[in-house]
Formats: sequence, structure tokens, C-alpha cells
Amino acid sequence: MVFTDAMKAIAKKELSDKLKSRWVLVIAAGFAVFTIVISYFGGATSGVTGFRSMEATIASLTSLVTYFIPILALTLGGGIIADERDKGTLDIYLASPITVAELISGKFLGLAIALTISTLSGLGIPGVLLLINLGMESFLSYLLFILNSLILGVIFLSVSFVISVLFIERARVIAFTVFLWLFFAILYDLGLIGLLVVTKGAVNNDIFSALLILNPVDVYRILNFLSIGELKVFLGLVSVELPGYMRASILWGISALWIVLPLTASYRLFKRRYLV
Amino acid sequence: MIEFKGISKDFGDVRALEEVSLKIHEGEILGLVGPNGSGKSTLFKTMLGIIRPSGGSVLVNSEELTEKKWKDFKKKIGYMPERVSFYDNLTGEETLQLFAGVKGGSLSVIPEILKKVGLESASGRKVGGYSKGMRQRLNFAQALLSDPDILVLDEPTSGLDPVGTKEFYNILADVRMRKKLTVILSSHILAEIEDRIDRVAIMKLGKLTAVGSLEELYRGLNLPLKIYITVKDRNARLEDVLSSEGAKDIGYKDGYLTASIQKEDKIKILGAIMQMKESFTDISLREPNLEEVFFGIH
Repeated sequence: MVFTDAMKAIAKKELSDKLKSRWVLVIAAGFAVFTIVISYFGGATSGVTGFRSMEATIASLTSLVTYFIPILALTLGGGIIADERDKGTLDIYLASPITVAELISGKFLGLAIALTISTLSGLGIPGVLLLINLGMESFLSYLLFILNSLILGVIFLSVSFVISVLFIERARVIAFTVFLWLFFAILYDLGLIGLLVVTKGAVNNDIFSALLILNPVDVYRILNFLSIGELKVFLGLVSVELPGYMRASILWGISALWIVLPLTASYRLFKRRYLV
Repeated sequence: MIEFKGISKDFGDVRALEEVSLKIHEGEILGLVGPNGSGKSTLFKTMLGIIRPSGGSVLVNSEELTEKKWKDFKKKIGYMPERVSFYDNLTGEETLQLFAGVKGGSLSVIPEILKKVGLESASGRKVGGYSKGMRQRLNFAQALLSDPDILVLDEPTSGLDPVGTKEFYNILADVRMRKKLTVILSSHILAEIEDRIDRVAIMKLGKLTAVGSLEELYRGLNLPLKIYITVKDRNARLEDVLSSEGAKDIGYKDGYLTASIQKEDKIKILGAIMQMKESFTDISLREPNLEEVFFGIH
């Protein structure tokens, strides 16, 4: 789709909103502090402090990101349409000569940039410290980790737009946001573990792997696992034998679908709900 | 000219609009009145393409609005929704910059529009600090951004005090002096709009119950004129004369004798009471107002 002036104006508003409210700054600072603390004290339980190997650091940070980024992204976009409706501005947009696709894409783009800036700064600035302390050798893994984290954020932002279109009342938006976060970050994997326990591990490996990649959080974990290779033990559930088709390119393709499909669904749902 | 041709709209089992046919002439101010839930906003939204009618069509200059034509038509419309609080952390100017970008309007007109609506000095302040009246003016300003030919104003003075209301209509008059805009406005404060509209359309339960100028409507309804006679004291003889000449609802309050008379009896009644001019000091006649027309229809 062409990047129209209307999309640009809407995206600019969303971005400046998050910059002005210091959302970007707070999230970036929070991420940076957590990243440095985890990188430095990650081995404290085994009596070691200081910057360890890049692989161990990424493994620790992956756990942090799988909890933080989904909830951040879901709350960022979850109320975006309900807000416009409450403020009365939604009718102004709808009465303007723009398409629903321009409205949704503009909002998505603005928030995605805000999320990208905060994640990039929060993980990137400590990355410089890691680079100085651990050297260039394994830094590419860290860059891939940042890229995967950005993609994870954009996926959940896309999912949040479906919530935003589906629910009008703020209480429902919050409830469903929390539910989705719990589902993807915790319950889904618990379910898979439960499946393994119930079947006494008799689940076909291909089926189990396919179930893993239905959850974008697990896709993210696998992507990081692929980049750090031998330290997969740090990543828990995904430390199973993965089938050969689980290459980074396939997983990025799945991630792209996780961005496009919810966004397309939110576009269609919006038209059905608001252009009646 | 905009024409609603047999517009119906169903929301599930609820019929929000029923076969509404209405023509809006170029350059006129049409007042759309009706109780809450009568379908005014739904009718507005069918014109703006926000609500798709279940039946009927919207025509502009005799051409039916299709999906493709709607985008061009929207460029000509300035829409002011009833309640808009805008974004607290944007300034007035930034708000207009956003909507200018959305509507494809020029940024260079913003200072002039801000001046027109009296927000020039507050343009750099955050909207969060604006009063209700200032937000309504900002709402009006955004409607003017794309230099529209048609203004659709949904309860534009809702929540404003009398001073704010007067200011709003002064700004609207000023805008219309510079450009002959077609204005469609809804209001439930009938007294407020009756002197400001060319025609009125009255809605009830999704149906259009009457359309026309105020005079056309009260003539059609055969509503009586009101006569006010300033008297020194209550005068039974004068009341008898009024009654014998066909006046109704005769009453006395605070030095005024009041009665309702039919328009065709006006000369006859005035002639009769002029025979008793020593009994009163003044006479005035008042034509029915929009409120009386509205309640005459409902």
C-alpha cells in the first residue's frame, strides 16, 4: 500500500503522543536497566557476577522479553480505537476522505515506530556494553535477538488492534489484553507441557513442533534458540529436537503472517463494526 | 443539491430510519430537529458514508453516491460531531495539523481558521486546558479545514452557555458571509435555531414528519397567532369582544391580555378591539415559533 499523507499524519500523531507522554523514554529506560541487571547479575545464583557469555545473556534476556514485550505491545494498541470513540474523534476520521486501511495502517505504523524506538534503545544501549565486554565475535547473535524482539513487539501490536476493534468498553479491553498475554506467554506452554505429561511424552515430534510455532512467543524463543545454538538448555520448553524445516527464514515468515493476519482481521472487523 | 431518496436503516430489529426522502438545496441552512432517538444523527451518518442505508440512496446533483464517489464527496464536507474532546496532549494548532493531514487540506490555512474561530491566542496551548466552549470552537475549526462546500453540524452548541452559543452562531454567520455554504444542523434547542435556518426538517421515530420553512409549516398546521394586549386593568368587555370574534385561550397576566387567533381572523379582530382603544395601551402579534410548530406536528 502507498504511504499516503493521511497515514503519515495519523502515524505522526501516534508517535508524537508516545514521545510527549514519555512512554518511549520510560520503556526504553526500563528495558535498559533490566537488560544491564540481567546481563551482569544473570549468573549470581551460581555465585558468579559480571558479563558472562553472549549466549547466556541472550537466553536470560529472552525470558525477560517474552513476558514484557507482549504485554507492552498489547496495552499499547489495545485501546486505540476505543479511545478515539470515547473522544468523539473516530467520527471525524470516518467522515474524512480516507479509507479504513489508511486509518488502521497509520495508527499501527505510528505505534510500531514508538515501540521499535523504545525496544531498540532499551536493548541496544546495553548492547554497546556487552560489545565492549564480550567482544564482536558473538555480537551478531545479540543483533538477531534485538531484531526478533522487535518482531515480537510488532506481532503483539498487530494482535492488540483486533482487541481494539472488538471491544468498546475499556474494562473489556483490559480483561482481554491480560487474558491474551497470559495465554500466549504462560498458559499455552503450560498446555503443551500438560499434553506431554498426559501422553507420557508420546506426542509426535513434528506435531509438537507444529504446535509450538502456532504461538508467536514460542516462535520468538525458537528463533533465539537457533541463533545461540548449543545453549538451548537455557530456553526451557523449546529445547526439544526441532524438525529440519524450522529454519529462521520459515519462522520469520510465520512471524510475518502473525503481523499481517491480525491486522487484516482488524481491518475487516472494523468495517463490519463501524461502517454498518 | 443533496437528496435523500427513500432512505431506510435497520439495526437488527430496530428500524432507525424509515423511507426518509429529503432534498437539501445548495446554499441553504436546514435545521434538523427531533427528540433523542428520532434518527437525526443516523441520517447525518448516511450522508457521510459512515452508515450504509438498508434501503434507498443518497444523490448529489442527481448522481447516486457510490463507494467510489463517496471519497470525493467527503472532500466537500466539513463535519462537526456532537461531542468531541480531542487529544489533551496536543495543542490546538497540532490538532488542526493532524486533521488537515487526514483530510488532505492545506496547513497554510490553519492560522486563518484559528483566527476565525477565536482560538488564535490559545493555538499553542494544550487542548487538555481548553474549556468546553474552546473545544467546540476547535471542533468547528476542524470542520472548516478542507474549505468545505457543505457543513454538517450535529448539535453544535450542545453544552455551551448562552454566550458561547451566541459566539458560535456569530462565527458561523461570519463564515457564511465569506462563502455561501450549505449548512445542515441539528439541535434540540428549537428557540436557538429558528431565526437562523431557512428550512426545518422534523423527525420522529425515524420518519420525516414535516419539511419546509417555518411559515409554510405553521400555515400547513393552521396554527394560531398569539395576540398580546397591554391593558391598565383586567377588562371583561375586551375579553368578551375577543371571544365573540373567535379568539381562543384568552387569559390575563401581569398587565397583558393574551389570546390565540386564526390568521384569517386577524383583521376582523383587530378592527373590533380598535373600537375600544381607550381600554389598552399597546397591541402586538406573534407568529408561531418553531417550538409550537414542533409540538403541533408531534
